[in-house]
Amino acid sequence: MIELQEALRKKEIWAIGGGKGGIGKSLITGNIGITLARLKKKVLLVDADLGGANLHTTLGIGVPEMTLSDFLNRRVETIQEVIIKTAIPNLSLISGAQDFLDAANPNFAQKTRLLRHLETLDADYILLDLGAGTSFNILDFFLFSDHGILVVLPEPTAIENAYRFIKSAFYRRFKKVVTNQNVKDLIDAAMDQKNSMGIRTPVDLIERVKSMEKEVGEILELEVSTFRPKLIVNQVRTKNDVQIGFSMKSACQKYFGINLEYLGYVEYDDCVWQSIRSKRPLVIEYPYSRPARCIERVVHNLLRKEQMTLSMLY
Amino acid sequence: MLKKIEDLNYYELLEVSPRATSQEIHKAYERIRKIYDPNSIALYSLFSPDETEKIRQRVEEAYRTLIYEENRRMYDLSLRDYLDELPPQEQPPARPVSATPVQPSHPSSVPPASPPMPSPAAYAAPAPAAPAPVPPPPVAALPVQPPPQDIAEFSGTVLRMLREQRGMTIQNVADTTKLSARYLECIEEENFAKLPARPYLRGFLVNYAKALGYEPDRIAADFLKRYDAFKNPPKK
Ligand SMILES: Nc1ncnc2c1ncn2[C@@H]1O[C@H](COP(=O)(O)OP(=O)(O)O)[C@@H](O)[C@H]1O
Ligand SMILES: [Mg+2]
Repeated sequence: MIELQEALRKKEIWAIGGGKGGIGKSLITGNIGITLARLKKKVLLVDADLGGANLHTTLGIGVPEMTLSDFLNRRVETIQEVIIKTAIPNLSLISGAQDFLDAANPNFAQKTRLLRHLETLDADYILLDLGAGTSFNILDFFLFSDHGILVVLPEPTAIENAYRFIKSAFYRRFKKVVTNQNVKDLIDAAMDQKNSMGIRTPVDLIERVKSMEKEVGEILELEVSTFRPKLIVNQVRTKNDVQIGFSMKSACQKYFGINLEYLGYVEYDDCVWQSIRSKRPLVIEYPYSRPARCIERVVHNLLRKEQMTLSMLY
Repeated sequence: MLKKIEDLNYYELLEVSPRATSQEIHKAYERIRKIYDPNSIALYSLFSPDETEKIRQRVEEAYRTLIYEENRRMYDLSLRDYLDELPPQEQPPARPVSATPVQPSHPSSVPPASPPMPSPAAYAAPAPAAPAPVPPPPVAALPVQPPPQDIAEFSGTVLRMLREQRGMTIQNVADTTKLSARYLECIEEENFAKLPARPYLRGFLVNYAKALGYEPDRIAADFLKRYDAFKNPPKK
């Protein structure tokens, strides 16, 4: 029973990515954070967009004095020292590095130290706002988290990027679990869609790996079944746009064999940029607007999921 | 177990449980058809036009097999190994042979009822080709979520507020729930005297809550408490 309570109280790390910039990752991260904080959860937001940090803006906070780069460059000893309290109860922020030149690509040791320190923090939820692209650092934050959330726009380029992100993320996950160098090389080669070995889908890849080393192929199969990224479609204007989430879910199942969970969508509305321009958070300035209600629904879906899996323990 | 698309069985292809009713199969078919629309921007970076077309053809095949009781039974026989491996609660119950097989909604497109085909060899012959039935208009169903936790009691006024937040008119709710607008007004105004007997009222509230996109239990219970207090005022 005590163990169960411990499990219930366990903190969760959510990463919000998407492979593309300007699609609303920060907006959604910030406002999910506020919504959770209002539900009396202790929330820490981390701007891990090491190239274009702007999470503070969605919270209506000016450029903070202490940032992640102070921690990365060891100007402070512990991560606690760069945590900023916000005006919203239960919500704090680690702001992103502003001096991108040295911070955009933390080396392996810096990244490991960051992840290690994050794990020690006391919070119910830690939300990582990831940068654009599919660099190893970004993928590693995504894979490190308990729940990886992808944001996508109902636009071809954003969707292409999201698929690339998904593929890169779980091929990287594959590489982390195999030791055989030949298999690693094969995975690298398979990343190229037009590879010469006729490996198009993860199913093809796994089949090939099985022919090399049966057990390794089975391990990869297991990895596929436990990789469950989540999806939010942002800037939705029509019913067809809402439908895109379902289409991506089905396509991911049939093409990658992975279970993409469609968490919800956020409607497009001018009040979003109005809130950003007036430097006031969306869900506080326009709590009854459609995008704000959508974000609330996304949070409910996220939380309910958590309860649903836990209730299976009983 | 990962499978290539061409190895998916009809249930997997339509993303339904092997226990699905024919209504569920019909719904799933409509859904999948929409998803694998050749113009979908969610597909082209994964599937070539040819592949999308092949999936569409197989979806048609799957639908036409599973929607007819007899064809489906034969198909299930051919899938025995797969069905036997399902976890116990997923085990398809023996479907009773109904005298009137469920028909797709448009009788004009229904092919002549196929004769019983007891031999697996007969199954191998494809079902008679039929033009794709026109699906009925989709039922707009909001996914339900728990009602806002910060609301202490769901009175008529609160219900109206929630409805207005959703940007819905009384008429919108009346249209989705098939309840009369007058009753909905009486609910929102807590005009208890004009409301029907308790069991009916409960049904109304459940439908109303769902139309707003909320799980109905708490909402119905709260409102009924207020209704009961009106019907049985505390004795002086
Ligand atoms: N749902 C929406 N409706 C209207 N505008 C939006 C919406 N989501 C995002 N935007 C606009 O897109 C801009 C970029 O969002 P941002 O969160 O900074 O993207 P990212 O973090 O992915 O780079 C915002 O400043 C806002 O103006
Ligand atoms: Mg951003």
